[in-house]
Amino acid sequence: MPMWFFRGLRRGVVTTRYPARPDGSAATLPTPPAFRPRLLTRQVADRLIAVCPSAALSRQDDVLIFDAGACTGCGRCAQAAAEAAPGAVTPSGQFELAATTREALVKQIPILGGER
Amino acid sequence: MTTVEPRAAQPMELILRQLTGLGAQVVTGGATRGAATVHLPPEALEAATHALAVTEGARLADMFADNGGDVCTLRLVWACGPGYLVTETEIAAEEYPPLSDVAPAAFVEECEIYEQFGIRPASGKPLNRLMLPPHAGPDFPRLGHRPARPLDEAHAPHIVGGQAFEFPFGPVRQVGVESLYYGIVTSGEEVVDLYLLGWHKHRGVEWRLRGSTPDQAAFLAERVEGLSAVALGWAFAAATEAALGVAPPAGAARTRAVALELERLYNHAAATAALCQSTGLTVGQSAAEIALERLLRVNAVAFGHRYLFGVVTPGGVSRAPDAGALRRDLPAAYGELHRAAEALLSTNSFVDRLEATGILTAEQGRRLGLVGPVARATGLATDARATQAPVINARASAVSNARATAVSNARLSRPPATDARGGPADSPYAEHPVTVVTAETGDVLARFQVMLGEAAESVRLIGEFLDAGATADRVELPSGGGAGLGWAESARGEALAWVALDETGRISRARLRPGSVRNWRGFDDACRSQNVFTDIPIIEASFWLTAAGLAR
Repeated sequence: MPMWFFRGLRRGVVTTRYPARPDGSAATLPTPPAFRPRLLTRQVADRLIAVCPSAALSRQDDVLIFDAGACTGCGRCAQAAAEAAPGAVTPSGQFELAATTREALVKQIPILGGER
Repeated sequence: MTTVEPRAAQPMELILRQLTGLGAQVVTGGATRGAATVHLPPEALEAATHALAVTEGARLADMFADNGGDVCTLRLVWACGPGYLVTETEIAAEEYPPLSDVAPAAFVEECEIYEQFGIRPASGKPLNRLMLPPHAGPDFPRLGHRPARPLDEAHAPHIVGGQAFEFPFGPVRQVGVESLYYGIVTSGEEVVDLYLLGWHKHRGVEWRLRGSTPDQAAFLAERVEGLSAVALGWAFAAATEAALGVAPPAGAARTRAVALELERLYNHAAATAALCQSTGLTVGQSAAEIALERLLRVNAVAFGHRYLFGVVTPGGVSRAPDAGALRRDLPAAYGELHRAAEALLSTNSFVDRLEATGILTAEQGRRLGLVGPVARATGLATDARATQAPVINARASAVSNARATAVSNARLSRPPATDARGGPADSPYAEHPVTVVTAETGDVLARFQVMLGEAAESVRLIGEFLDAGATADRVELPSGGGAGLGWAESARGEALAWVALDETGRISRARLRPGSVRNWRGFDDACRSQNVFTDIPIIEASFWLTAAGLAR
């Protein structure tokens, strides 16, 4: 046990604060999508909904509903949008998704592009 | 304790000849690609299973059913040293010959098949509830039809002859541990018996995979057991590729291998931390968790995901590793684990808890079809990475090198020779053979030493794969159907996948079998071997299995 004690003293590691510094790999990690309403159409929205494997996307008329609590950040929607509507969906780069209620994780994105 | 040396495997041709003598027909057209396939009539199934169970080098790797046609087809997958053998038997009746009587490794699958397809062994013995919850009614999604009789709940009486009682533990356990119910039968301190109920998080993944395309299914395949995402993703992709008759480019296969070895590294670091936690060594736990966190960050830098999700895709890989970052960061991250492990192995209060705890013998490992470090710690040189490789060496010989000093009791040996029948010819492990680490004592310490030896071997292999070139290539999957078998060696043992595609290229049946499924059946045996209550968390940490893999 003394070995562990002196090793801790030598290295000076006690604990870390959150966030001590941005994670160096954060820029490349998968993050939930960000949507650009003006590039979204109903057809594009339906295509995104079809490729989402965790049912995080749905649509009510001209509103795309995005459940950040169900999103796994797999990137399939961004990949599909790159073919159908370039720029409509991009990685948000956001990790800090904590919310005090479940409802706060559900976002409503207006569909403003194309014929509605 | 009995230690059995690994035995030389019989050539596949001899096995096929033996089965043909029992009434089997070797299937060529429409067979499972990636494995030798034989069709067995129901009346020959029991004799053939018995013959294979006693064949040297043969191991029952999986058993599952499929009711794609008018009748159920029962498939047994055997690992036969150099490759895999699939037997197919059509079961028209509600019962089939009892197989777990001659091959005990089949019992869990007998229970699962009864739950999902309603067919059962003819012996009439009780079959336990395994995956579906008790409230599963007629509308509950199943692969086949509902069993005629309800399943048994394997509860012991609370008082057994006035001497023993059942101590319920779980399914809700401490923070971060998966849902799993232990029924511990005890006389007070010693574990008399132990059984598991793991249906609490059944997700019906195999049911959900039906009708999906391989690309859609790959997402769920790697989530069957998140801590084996690469291994299961690779096994599924390999099965799909075998079914369609394609192979990934060599550079992409090496990228898969880099990810697979990174997955093994972080899992072994996590198991080390869990061992420290279970033995109450909090400083050692922190040291191992620092190593774990550093390895996860290496994963993130190299592949863009801490748990390596999304790397493997059917036909190839989605991205290449950041080779520069791996060469820069991996040695230091592994060094952290190595230093922690060395300190642990020189801490008597830690080693004393591991030694002679949770012992399994090689005979138990063979009988129950155990895989991974659990099997290798008993002396069985079972490793699916070796199965993928063509001829490497004609004998299982002891090799001493510098790493052997770090794992004093572990034995490093080349895998046995293989003719690569059924294995992908372009496996990266063919060019860069793995040195299979084994030990002999079969206890928790042996498992820990095997993990440490494997971690060193993984670092060496990653360096070789990067030097040879790990790229982000992918081949287009052709249209059409077929069936294929794929496998990969996860950190907890062989992961298997069997995939059947219809003519439109959609999945008609996919079977995913993580290594955890095989090794949980050895857990109760390990707990029963003269252990007390407080040994159970230590044994569980050394197995390092998941409840998710069991309850997929």
